[in-house]
Amino acid sequence: MDDSSGKKFQKDLNGGLVGLVLLAILEQSAEDLYGYEIAKRLATANDGISIFKEGTIYPVLRALSAANLLTSRIVPSYSGPARRYYRITDQGRSVLAEWTAIWAGTRRFVDRFIATGHSS
Amino acid sequence: MNRSAPRSIDQYLNALREELAGEDSALIQDALYDAEEYLRAEVAAHPDKSESDVLELIASTYGAPDEVASAYRDTEAKVKAAMAPPRKIPKTGVGSFFGVFLDSRAYTSLFFMLLSLATGIIYFTFAVTGLALSAGLAVLVIGVPFFLLFMALTRVLALAEGRLIEAMTGERMPRRPVHQSSAAGFWSRVGEMLRDRRTWTTLAYLIFMLPLGIVYFVLAVVGFSLSLGLIFAPLADIAGRYGWFGISPDVHVNPAWLGSPWALPFMVLAGVVLLTLLMHLARGIGRVHALYAKNLLVARAAPLAA
Repeated sequence: MDDSSGKKFQKDLNGGLVGLVLLAILEQSAEDLYGYEIAKRLATANDGISIFKEGTIYPVLRALSAANLLTSRIVPSYSGPARRYYRITDQGRSVLAEWTAIWAGTRRFVDRFIATGHSS
Repeated sequence: MNRSAPRSIDQYLNALREELAGEDSALIQDALYDAEEYLRAEVAAHPDKSESDVLELIASTYGAPDEVASAYRDTEAKVKAAMAPPRKIPKTGVGSFFGVFLDSRAYTSLFFMLLSLATGIIYFTFAVTGLALSAGLAVLVIGVPFFLLFMALTRVLALAEGRLIEAMTGERMPRRPVHQSSAAGFWSRVGEMLRDRRTWTTLAYLIFMLPLGIVYFVLAVVGFSLSLGLIFAPLADIAGRYGWFGISPDVHVNPAWLGSPWALPFMVLAGVVLLTLLMHLARGIGRVHALYAKNLLVARAAPLAA
């Protein structure tokens, strides 16, 4: 992913995917999460390979929150500025279901053309 | 990007601020806030590493300042397109003159002006008492510990004042007190404190807060009561005519036309204009005071202009 065309492709792909992944993480989480926790969950799931930079999730969290898909509350913290904890809303859940279906359809469609075998 | 990678949280935040220069100030504040949350948590999560070691890896995890900046810019553009801007403050002529009433900063700055008399009295008393006692006790054994306590409290007050100013005017102020380099010995730290320019500018700020606070308070109270008095003059006039509210006959309005009913609409108009001017003045004072406070309370070699 060093060349800029690869980077740009990844960035274009991530546009909508980041929102989908964030909604999914918050939907599966039992408790409210703040930005750093979410970033670290992504990083561990990534196995060190960064599909997207952790810094890019924060503006998406704010955007989802502004669209009422997430709610947030602020809790003071000792280690830095107060943390903003996010939780998915009912509207967020229905949007997530819709997006998940779109993603599954998209993946099937794309795989039909490019996924000839199981990796090699 | 031919700049060297940031090696401290402050350098990172400054680099990010530079990358975002020209964007909406709220967006910049959010971006800096998010980055600070992440970076501080990351540094705290790796107590075995130094801040600069943690920062070295940050470009591959959190992202380099330019990447993060472009992420905020892109998301902001999308969100802006999806949702109409909540309230647009008109940019021209009459609209911008009265638009000040939609600006929450004007109200909070006005509140700050009223509050500054109280804080000014507290700061002035604190600074003068502390300085006088420090000087007086300097010859005794307890002089030095007293001076250190005084300095510590001064820094807490400076931080608190910074938080207050950020809340009132939106000017970004430090969220935590300055870290004293802990490497040196006790006496050299005392000496360093005495040589530090910020020590003296902070004390100057605390002392000057009293005269400034008096001026701010008087401006706010006089402006507010005068303009409200003019705006509600017709009510007072009606009340006076029905005798609900007596104006002593000894009061003579001079010039006489001011007492005639024809002057009332003009008084209301003057009151509205005066109130609007007061709001502009409050907002302006808030901005200027925030910059002044930043220069005296936050001494930093890194760029303040942003």
